[in-house]
Amino acid sequence: MSAILETDGLVKEFGGLTATDDVNLSIEQGELLSLIGPNGAGKSTLINLITRMLEETEGDIRFEGESITDLEPHEVVQRGIGKSFQTASIFPDLSVEENANIASLGAEHGDFRFNFLVHRNSYPEVEQRTLETLEAVGLRDQRNTRAADLPYGDKRRLEIGIALASEPSLLLMDEPTAGMSPEETQATVELIEQLQEELDLTILLVEHDMEIVFSVSDRIAVLNRGSIIAEGTPDEVQGDPSVQEAYLGGVEL
Amino acid sequence: MSDEVKSAEATESGEVDRSPSLYDRWAAVREHEAAVAALTFLGVFLAPLVLVVLPEMLGVPTQYIWYRSLIVLALIWGIFAVGYDLLLGFTGLLSFGHAIFWGTAAYAAGIFSANVTGSPIAMILVGTTTAVLFAWVIGWISLRRGGIYFAILTLAFGQMIYYVFLSPLGWLTGGENGFTGVEVEPLLGFLPLGAEVAVVPDAIVQTWMYVFVGLAAVLAVVVGNRILNSPYGVVLRAIRENEQRAEFVGLNVWRYKLMAFVISGAFAGVAGSLYVIQRSFVPIENTLNWTVSGEIVIMTVLGGVGSLFGPLLGAGLYMYVANIVSGMPAIGDFWHMILGLVFVLVVVLLPEGLWGGLTWLRERAAEAFGGEDR
Amino acid sequence: MSVVGDLIVLLVNGLQTGAIYVLLAIGLSIILGTLKFVNFAHGALFVVGAYAGLLITQEISISNGKLAEWGYATIGLEWGFFAALLIVPMLVFVLGLAMERFVARPFYDRPDTDQILVTFGLAIVVQEVIHALIGPRTYGYDVPSTAFGLLPMTGPIGVPLSDVTINVWRLWVIVITAALVIAVYAIVEYTDFGLVVKAGTRDPEMVRLLGIKITRPYLVMFGIGAALAGIAGVVGGPLQNINPEIGMTILVPAFLTVVIGGVGSVRGAVLGGTLIGMVQVTLISLGSVGLGGFEVNFTPWAQVGIYVLAVIVLLTRPQGLLGSEEVSA
Repeated sequence: MSAILETDGLVKEFGGLTATDDVNLSIEQGELLSLIGPNGAGKSTLINLITRMLEETEGDIRFEGESITDLEPHEVVQRGIGKSFQTASIFPDLSVEENANIASLGAEHGDFRFNFLVHRNSYPEVEQRTLETLEAVGLRDQRNTRAADLPYGDKRRLEIGIALASEPSLLLMDEPTAGMSPEETQATVELIEQLQEELDLTILLVEHDMEIVFSVSDRIAVLNRGSIIAEGTPDEVQGDPSVQEAYLGGVEL
Repeated sequence: MSDEVKSAEATESGEVDRSPSLYDRWAAVREHEAAVAALTFLGVFLAPLVLVVLPEMLGVPTQYIWYRSLIVLALIWGIFAVGYDLLLGFTGLLSFGHAIFWGTAAYAAGIFSANVTGSPIAMILVGTTTAVLFAWVIGWISLRRGGIYFAILTLAFGQMIYYVFLSPLGWLTGGENGFTGVEVEPLLGFLPLGAEVAVVPDAIVQTWMYVFVGLAAVLAVVVGNRILNSPYGVVLRAIRENEQRAEFVGLNVWRYKLMAFVISGAFAGVAGSLYVIQRSFVPIENTLNWTVSGEIVIMTVLGGVGSLFGPLLGAGLYMYVANIVSGMPAIGDFWHMILGLVFVLVVVLLPEGLWGGLTWLRERAAEAFGGEDR
Repeated sequence: MSVVGDLIVLLVNGLQTGAIYVLLAIGLSIILGTLKFVNFAHGALFVVGAYAGLLITQEISISNGKLAEWGYATIGLEWGFFAALLIVPMLVFVLGLAMERFVARPFYDRPDTDQILVTFGLAIVVQEVIHALIGPRTYGYDVPSTAFGLLPMTGPIGVPLSDVTINVWRLWVIVITAALVIAVYAIVEYTDFGLVVKAGTRDPEMVRLLGIKITRPYLVMFGIGAALAGIAGVVGGPLQNINPEIGMTILVPAFLTVVIGGVGSVRGAVLGGTLIGMVQVTLISLGSVGLGGFEVNFTPWAQVGIYVLAVIVLLTRPQGLLGSEEVSA
């Protein structure tokens, strides 16, 4: 299997602070790789570098073999990388259906069109995708609800739906279960596993909940102080002494 | 095409699809858009009857009644405001320099009429094109930085262009005296805008100028409505709601913002050109001064951002207060202050403006009288 | 010989013009940088300072305003300019406190555009209240020509090595501004209060968690910024026309100063203000200059120059000349 995403000597410095220190990460097609590490390890920075929210200081990032360091965030999405945010990042004042609609527009129409005089109803393929997205996350019946009025769990599902609407090849999930109840967490985990199977999705998961990490991951990469200190299968990582040391006083494995 | 989609949905979901077919939806949409157009048309062309003739007949003192050229002015500002709302209410971008597009269009149209032709339609084309060009450049520069810098940059550009048109370009623009060489010719070659419309009773419409501006206003609302019903309607609102997320569904947020800016500039350009056609004169203070930029902000917010008719209401209200209330005893001299206070109150308490307030009342009334479940 | 004189005049005028912008920009910049609040009503503090100074210093006769209609044809305390210099800063400081408490605080969590809209509305209301009550007429200050019979306050003094004169009050404005800038800088850098404010800029959450009530320092900071604007109004008053619109018209150069100098930076405000003041005055003074055989008239471009400067800075160094680079999430 080929690597769908590779980082090559990736470095990010903020003034005196090195947030990302010579990271060489490689994610295989179809796998679920979890990125773990103590707070401040640089997980968010790494995600932001991949999505091009941040400019790297040095190094390269390659997606499906091609370098993406020159791209804008929306171009990265168009290439096939989706992101699900830490907080339920939706469009609060719009309806659930409109939320899915936006994502579908981005997916079907590309990053920009001049079509401000064309009625929305002229695009059945967008309508189709919108409905499919709503179905996939089970929110079809709430399509007319104002997104801000949804319960938190549903907002998260909508959020994941939005991320998936573009049918990405690689999905970055930034702490998807943060702030969820055990039932919601369970449902989300099931959703993730289901999605991975059905859509043949490659997932890069950033998580703090170790139970989830160890149950769903194919591989785990451990980040500490900006560099990868361990990488491998859950069993390999669990037994690694340097990982245990890094987590001293933190979450139990 | 509609049948294919319908049967596809039926088989995919494995159950009868309760959502209407594409054709049904199209029919509903067309009706809806036509309804908006018809309503606006009626509103515009019944306005003289309702605002001028009726009050006269009812004995309202003359100094409190609208007059037709004021309605025309309100319609012109209304066009400006509809476009401005696309930027502020729907995209969430606050520009303090929109006088630029109104003003440069006015000057371009005026100077064009003096040197080439005074055909009103040509004047509008020239004015609007000028406004669009300015909007493209200024939007391109101002949108590079977000948030408050955008407001400050547009304010700065507004002032810069005001001073440029005042002094260095004074030989062309007439400087502080304004441009007086405007020569408006009859519409389509044979309809003088000041002339009375034959056949149609005075109670409805008097001059061709009213017809011309009225139709332009209806067109502006129709176009605005179409824009809101296009993908831009959702995209711009998404940008307002959560810019980062919009970027992360793959949309080129910057280009859409620029488009919103340019489109609003185009509306301002049409309005500015009409202003010159009506006034036959281009004053610098009412075209490029920052106060114009301030006025459009107040009008749009008062009327109601985020709606189609709110800005029109705001423009009408502002014109009435500035021109008629200002002449009233006791409170007349305080008109500007009162508007400012109401504006502040609206920002604090009633973010959807007066139109939003009216809509709220209407919905409450519908509920109270057992209206259908909306 | 008179070239030296002309240069000195240019320098003094430029620095003095810049000083007014500096006073306004410091307050604006701190409020924007620390409290993250956009205050389009900052100019209102300036115009209030100017009018308060006017009314404390002397009596004015009202021709067009409501006050005249209500029987107050002349108003004013006639306590003299020094009284104004003392009272106005305190008055506007209190106004600033009120503004923070009743206008800014409810809007801290609301989007930027709402902050701009409400402060803009407030600025219009203030302008219109003055316009309605006192009228649109332009007034001027009666500044005493000497203080205590010894120090010259206003009036021409000769510039050495030349035959031109400058208004000595301009020098006073520069001196007063410099003293105030040093005082503000000292407060921000060397006091606990300043430390809390600086920390609050970086991480308000942390400061709150440390048990430090952030509202008090914010309140005082706002008051200081406001007082500076008021001082600008009363010291700048004698040198310009006083009418209701000056609050709004000074707003743009003030914001441009902040933007050019860099948000949140006192030194940036000083640099920006000085730069803008010098550019503005230089362009006016250049007048018509022969350049390579062509007659180039700079005067019409005098007003435009500062906007061009601002745009250039914003495009090349968006964080301002002395501002710090913002790190995106």
